[in-house]
Amino acid sequence: MPSTRALKTRIRSVKSTKQITKAMQLVAASKMRKAQEAEEASAPYTRMANEILTHLASQGVTDDHPLYEKRAQVKSRLLIVIATDKGLAGAYDANGLKLYAKQLLSDDKEGVANQTLYIGRRANRFASRLKGTEVAAAYQDLPDDPAGGQLRAIVQMAIEKFESGAVDAVDVVFTEYHSTVRQEARMQRILPAGYEVVDVGENVREALFEPSKEEVLEAVTYRLIEAQVYHALLTARASEYIMRMMAMKNATDNATDLVDDLTLAMNKARQAAITQELAEISGGVEALND
Amino acid sequence: MKFQLVTLLGVKVDQDVYEVILPTADGEIAVFPGHEPLVSIATPGAIAVRHDKHDDDSKLEFFAISGGVIEVTYDTIKVLVDEADSENDIVETEAKAALDRALKMKDEAKNQIELEKASALVDRHGVRLKVAGLRRRRRH
Repeated sequence: MPSTRALKTRIRSVKSTKQITKAMQLVAASKMRKAQEAEEASAPYTRMANEILTHLASQGVTDDHPLYEKRAQVKSRLLIVIATDKGLAGAYDANGLKLYAKQLLSDDKEGVANQTLYIGRRANRFASRLKGTEVAAAYQDLPDDPAGGQLRAIVQMAIEKFESGAVDAVDVVFTEYHSTVRQEARMQRILPAGYEVVDVGENVREALFEPSKEEVLEAVTYRLIEAQVYHALLTARASEYIMRMMAMKNATDNATDLVDDLTLAMNKARQAAITQELAEISGGVEALND
Repeated sequence: MKFQLVTLLGVKVDQDVYEVILPTADGEIAVFPGHEPLVSIATPGAIAVRHDKHDDDSKLEFFAISGGVIEVTYDTIKVLVDEADSENDIVETEAKAALDRALKMKDEAKNQIELEKASALVDRHGVRLKVAGLRRRRRH
């Protein structure tokens, strides 16, 4: 049985680990709320873009636009993979990267060349062990509110590669947040451009388009692609934080159990030592009496 | 008439107004209540808002926007923009300094990518500075 002192040190160290995991749990919870709020805030933007696009598409304006061109054969594609920077988020990275690896395998089988744009240090690390996919770009430490320059740069790169014909499709691999207990790794095609079919208000149906429908289409399409990537980044963020929160909650619970067990062991050890000492003393007394 | 400024970060402005002056690809347009439905493209520039029919020009409120899409209906104006700043959020000296930095970046750009980035920054800060200037002029 380990000594009382050794157990005491163990307990102290487990307790301080518990403090850290507890703090990480709380931080993850508040960051998750922020990511969710930001995602909800972008909904009116996406809805308006979808409405205009649904209307323009019903008029056939999207048919000839290069960003909507569905190429007969996808010979190469760009994958945008979103992972964490820090890890410690349960199965988050494992799930996302597993889906990504599956895509690479299926591309391999079908003879589709691919390039990948990595977001997050974990994705980079995973990529460094891969062969056969070309690294298009790698981002890390994206801010919690990713609506700035990086988002635009990512979208710009995807559009340029698609327009120039370097790739025939662009997919985003990310983890969608459904609820606190369900997050799911999935893939969404952002190019050729798609939109969500929504109800078109009478106002849009009757509207004049200036300077022309084609130009409005161009402007809205670009923004919707941006909004789609933004949504992917935020929902992935929310998933990351909820999974980190759960992982840290489990770690905290485990630490609590461990402290209980260790305290019990320590009490036992202390009691055993006392009992032994008493036995020795009474043994000594017996010896003197004889 | 309702005026909404919608960005990816959320609805920035949502208020009742009388008139909105918008920069579009075909020049500035002024929209009053009852305007026919219109969808158009906003260029980087300043949006001016008149809250009440009897307000004179000195009471206009300005917003600096980067490009976007405008949707006008009979009783609402929605502007979908990448970035929008209220005049109250812009400090003129800061905007000036940022513009100078952007201009310097443009001069020193080594390749096409840097040049484009710098040009976008010049546009953005140019607009912000313009809006800050508009506000100052109005105060005097």
